[in-house]
Amino acid sequence: MKYIAKKIKIHFLLAIAAMMFILSACNKNVEQFATPVVVAPAGLALGETIATIADDSLYYRMIVKGGMLATINNKSNIFTMYVPNNAAMRQFLVAIGAPPGQPDAVYSGFITAFVPAATAASIVSYNMIPQSITTASVPSTFPNWFYPTHLNPTTGTPGFNPLVRLLTFPSTRNGNWVNNIPLLAVNLAAANGVIHTAAAMPAPPQKVLAQRIFADADMTYLAAAIQRADSGVAPTTSASLVWVLSNFGPNITVFAPTNLAFQQLLTGQITLALIAQGVPPATAAAQAAVLASTPAVFSNPALYPVLTPTTVKGIVVYHLLGTRAFTNNFPTTATSYQTLLNSAVPSHPGVSLTCTFTGPFVSAATIKGIANPTASNILINPTPEPNGTSDQFFVNGTIHKIDQVLRPQ
Amino acid sequence: MRKVTSYLVTFLLANIITIGAFAQNVTINGNVRNSSTKEGSGAVSVIVKGEDNGTFTDDKGNFRLTVKKLPVTLLISSVGYEIQEVTVSNATALTQVEFKPSSALGQEVVVAANRVPQKIMESPVSIERVSAANIRNSPVASYYDVVTSLKGVDVTTSSLTFKTPTTRGFNGSGNTRFNQLVDGMDNQAPGLNFSVASIIGLSELDVDNMELLSGASSALYGAGGMNGTLLINSKNPFKYQGLSVLVKEGLMHTGANSQRAASPYHNWSMRWAKKVSNKFAFKINAELLQAKDWQGRDYRNYARAATGGSVKAGTRASDPNFDGINIYGDETTAEIRSAVLNAIGASAAPFLKNFIDTLNGGAPINVSRTGYTEKEVTNPNTVNFKLSGSLHYKITPHTEATFAAYWGTGNTVYTGSERYSLKDFKMGQYKLEFINRYWSLRAYTTQENAGESYNTTVATRLFNESWKPSGGATGWFSQYSQTYLALRLAGATNADAHTGARAQSDVGRPFAGSAQFTKAYDSIRKKPIKTGGALLLDKSDLYSLEGTYNLTHLTGKWVDMLIGGSYKQYVLNSEGTLFADSTGSIKISEYGAYMQLSRKIMDRLHLTVSGRYDKNENFKGRVTPRATALIKIKENNNFRVSYQTAYRFPSNQQQFINLGIGSNVFLIGGNPGFREFYNFAGKPVYDFDALRAGSITAFNPQNLKPESLSSFEAGFKGLMMQNKLLVDVYGYYGTYKDFLGRKVTVQSAGSAIALSDTLNGRRLSIPVNSTDKVKTYGFGLSIDYRLPWNFTIGANVASDVLKNVPTNFVAYFNAPKYKANVNLGNSGFGPGNRLGFNVAYRYQGAFLYQGDFATGNLPVVHTLDAQVSLKLPKANKSVIKLGATNLLNQYYYNAIGNSQVGGLYYVSFGYNIY
Repeated sequence: MKYIAKKIKIHFLLAIAAMMFILSACNKNVEQFATPVVVAPAGLALGETIATIADDSLYYRMIVKGGMLATINNKSNIFTMYVPNNAAMRQFLVAIGAPPGQPDAVYSGFITAFVPAATAASIVSYNMIPQSITTASVPSTFPNWFYPTHLNPTTGTPGFNPLVRLLTFPSTRNGNWVNNIPLLAVNLAAANGVIHTAAAMPAPPQKVLAQRIFADADMTYLAAAIQRADSGVAPTTSASLVWVLSNFGPNITVFAPTNLAFQQLLTGQITLALIAQGVPPATAAAQAAVLASTPAVFSNPALYPVLTPTTVKGIVVYHLLGTRAFTNNFPTTATSYQTLLNSAVPSHPGVSLTCTFTGPFVSAATIKGIANPTASNILINPTPEPNGTSDQFFVNGTIHKIDQVLRPQ
Repeated sequence: MRKVTSYLVTFLLANIITIGAFAQNVTINGNVRNSSTKEGSGAVSVIVKGEDNGTFTDDKGNFRLTVKKLPVTLLISSVGYEIQEVTVSNATALTQVEFKPSSALGQEVVVAANRVPQKIMESPVSIERVSAANIRNSPVASYYDVVTSLKGVDVTTSSLTFKTPTTRGFNGSGNTRFNQLVDGMDNQAPGLNFSVASIIGLSELDVDNMELLSGASSALYGAGGMNGTLLINSKNPFKYQGLSVLVKEGLMHTGANSQRAASPYHNWSMRWAKKVSNKFAFKINAELLQAKDWQGRDYRNYARAATGGSVKAGTRASDPNFDGINIYGDETTAEIRSAVLNAIGASAAPFLKNFIDTLNGGAPINVSRTGYTEKEVTNPNTVNFKLSGSLHYKITPHTEATFAAYWGTGNTVYTGSERYSLKDFKMGQYKLEFINRYWSLRAYTTQENAGESYNTTVATRLFNESWKPSGGATGWFSQYSQTYLALRLAGATNADAHTGARAQSDVGRPFAGSAQFTKAYDSIRKKPIKTGGALLLDKSDLYSLEGTYNLTHLTGKWVDMLIGGSYKQYVLNSEGTLFADSTGSIKISEYGAYMQLSRKIMDRLHLTVSGRYDKNENFKGRVTPRATALIKIKENNNFRVSYQTAYRFPSNQQQFINLGIGSNVFLIGGNPGFREFYNFAGKPVYDFDALRAGSITAFNPQNLKPESLSSFEAGFKGLMMQNKLLVDVYGYYGTYKDFLGRKVTVQSAGSAIALSDTLNGRRLSIPVNSTDKVKTYGFGLSIDYRLPWNFTIGANVASDVLKNVPTNFVAYFNAPKYKANVNLGNSGFGPGNRLGFNVAYRYQGAFLYQGDFATGNLPVVHTLDAQVSLKLPKANKSVIKLGATNLLNQYYYNAIGNSQVGGLYYVSFGYNIY
């Protein structure tokens, strides 16, 4: 009996010891969280997706020619791509010298043979935004939503800056647009981005605003007015209008009155000034017509008291918006927007804009200065320069020719 | 007053001068030895029966006692042995006493419960006692860890040598609600405000006993002690004599999950005590510990908030704003869109504005700097050196004067609002004490020197600033932002852009451990905080004078009476690095007095009533009463009930701290002077959390009050089954009032408060009293059973619960609902009863740990400690022990962000261990 009791006690103690051991063998670590595993997104990459779309075959050829296929097929990169369909590509290729009315195989060969790789790369890069942007994330506010593209104009230059990019201007006002080009299809998802189909080629701008303004024979008055407005201002500072119009960075809209518009206004204003000085009206009108007959009117010392730099600058900046607006971004009912004049006169009501659509395109657009009795017409012709007069697209802005000088007061 | 003082002096002198004038002319020489092992038994009390003439045996069991005449009856006693009476008729022969080990439980005498010696079975409040024998037989490597196995104890482990015990909740790495008294001296570092007994205390060989009072104990021990008091008492050289040596050599950091390569653990200690004469004795102690410390290696991501925070998903690779718990320097964070990118979009590159606006879906782009792990920025060597000594002189047989010095230094790591490396930390305690059988008088001082201690988080953040400033046009965040932007413009994904940006902005980042790193880091950690470094210059001191008088010999006919008083003065001196003392030290005085009355009624009921009044110069006086009743059911079976109160004045840090902890966040004290210093009148402060929620709510700081606790407790302690089974059980219910916590407020960076001030404003963390009452309740149960053949088994379980916690109230309760210990051992079996073993298992339930440094859920912890020992034959109480703490090397934390503790395996050799 004693032996049994002893055995039981020893077994009991051993059981206790074993229990301690077992319990202690199972400490858990503090709560852990799953480590995020980065996996490549499923599905076809952008380039692979475009390759599957027959109507994008010409643009795909541009991608290949530009050496951009690897970039857009790398699923570690994310882009939004604007892809002109084959019709848009044909139009573009004809415009740069391809024969019209040819089968796509010919255009494909043209791209391979005649489009420089650097040009193709620039075009494709310009039509890429380094984010995935669906139309749902693009606001419809005036005038549009500007985004940097993949195209860096400083690449290969001594002044290379990785943050510099040419811009593109998506908008969902009055439809879906990139710049002034309507989108035919939107939001085609790829593994590493999204594709929108464009009705025309969004070509990267090559020049700055000043290059057009100071070269256009129908803008010599505007050019002279700008120079008058810059009197006493160093052309290398941002206070200079010439600097603003000549440099990358600013993003503005220029409503450029034609020479005739300036002549009409100046003639009338000078006539009134001469009559006020006691000159008979007929004589005054004749003298005014002579004075206003050339852009030198702005540099005529006799008129300095009237056309002071401040006055002229006030008129010029009243023709500039601090944003870039294409006509398709205009409201369809007249709405006022501020101009750069508001930086000097904050309470100024600005200008009133409106546009009219015929089908998917803008057929008419106007802008009205506050002191103008009637609205000025935007001369609709969106074709490229030198003949185009509306939606003229530059690195730092957009130009629309108008048929009246806008009067701020 | 002067008259009263002169009476008191006369009274004391009268006691001292009462020298026995009788002749003593017969000397007895004797020896006491263990009847089982035949080894001499040291420190055994030998008293002439019926007299107060007595002595102790030396380390070989010898004693020498002079008596008036023969025959006499000697009373031989020691804990763990049966009391024995020996009649000596002949002084010429050696009196040999065979001392028989006792298997009876509950024979210990405790002092802490009522400040007078009493049997532990008759303590009116919950008390636990750890004897030198318990320490000897324990498997843990440090005697201090034995406390962990006591009923109801929670321990927070900051590092190998920095452990903070408490009972009944509210634990933390630097606990200010639990007093620790070493030989009667408050062991708290005066400036840092928490007890440091685990590093600057007694050496293991000198520990006589530890007594743990659970729960409120201010009525006897003054401010603090809300949750308990631990009293650690050293061995008196009159009683414990001889040279003792203990050498422990161990191994840490083993196994696949180890934090570093396996490294040795060295712990050597010695004690030498000598009774030069019946009047004079001295002792010297030294202990050296050296090891590679446990590390904080919680690299989980942390959502830092003003009050509280939470662990969250994410890694350095996946979260640009990653803030690892034990990774430092990554607390520096910025929202790069508002800090850098918006400026680019506004002026330098306006054409990128929309792109910048829509990055990260328009959500904030928070980015943190790259940090360094704790392993990389803390010295792995933990060193602890303790040196102490005392001179004891018996002015009369009943009056012993003691001068004692305790000094320690070391490197360790502890967790406050940040992780602090205590490097070359030094603290000395020096006391002069007179103890008479009726009274005691003790004067002591604590001299603290933080050495080269530094705030690891601040040091690493500053280090990052030193090699590349965060701000500025070429600063880290600017480089990061521009690279991030450029990569996004190049089409990189958000994650890749962050990775690339970090790689670019970290170019030139010093590699941890490199000469460049070490040189720069050292220059920062050695530079005082106020001059832009991370060094704490704390040289605060404490001066204390206290006395007790037991008037029972005068009043005993009616009531046992004990009175006492104390005076303390803190001298805070951090040279402006910790406290608002840049213009000179801050002195804080406290004084108090107490009285205890007790009376036994018909041997069945023992009533005790005590009360204490304390006054801190910065706060109103406070009275804390206590009432206890012990009801004797039968011999060694007592039921106890008590009502206890406790309080604590706001700690010195809560009153006077003025510490910038980075990111424009300051911990400040509650002293009204701070309101002027920080111009609250001109720059009002607002509720930070409310502001973050979008509401502007003014915060009006109130003068601080002491927090207090009142607690009811009932318990039972009894011996059963022929005194082989000891059962102790208690239950308590407590209410905390004016709970001290902190509130984060914000001052505007501009003229008026705005939402942006949650980022830009100056954040001031101000101590406040909660208006809510917090209630706690719990129970504890322990069973100890003596089995045959020296086997013992014990188990205890305890529970602590917090209730009525208001929403969003961070109570820092930090106690598992259940904790339990089981131990199984044998102090002597096998040939000559020389073998011993002990296996101890501890269970700690899961709970939410709340700390200023980090908050998170702690899982259940199981630990197993074990030892086997062999007493060497023919050697003077020499023991070889093979032991292990956390035998199964199951790493565990018991506070978020603290060191993770693994297995420690050691072998020790002890000479003359008793």
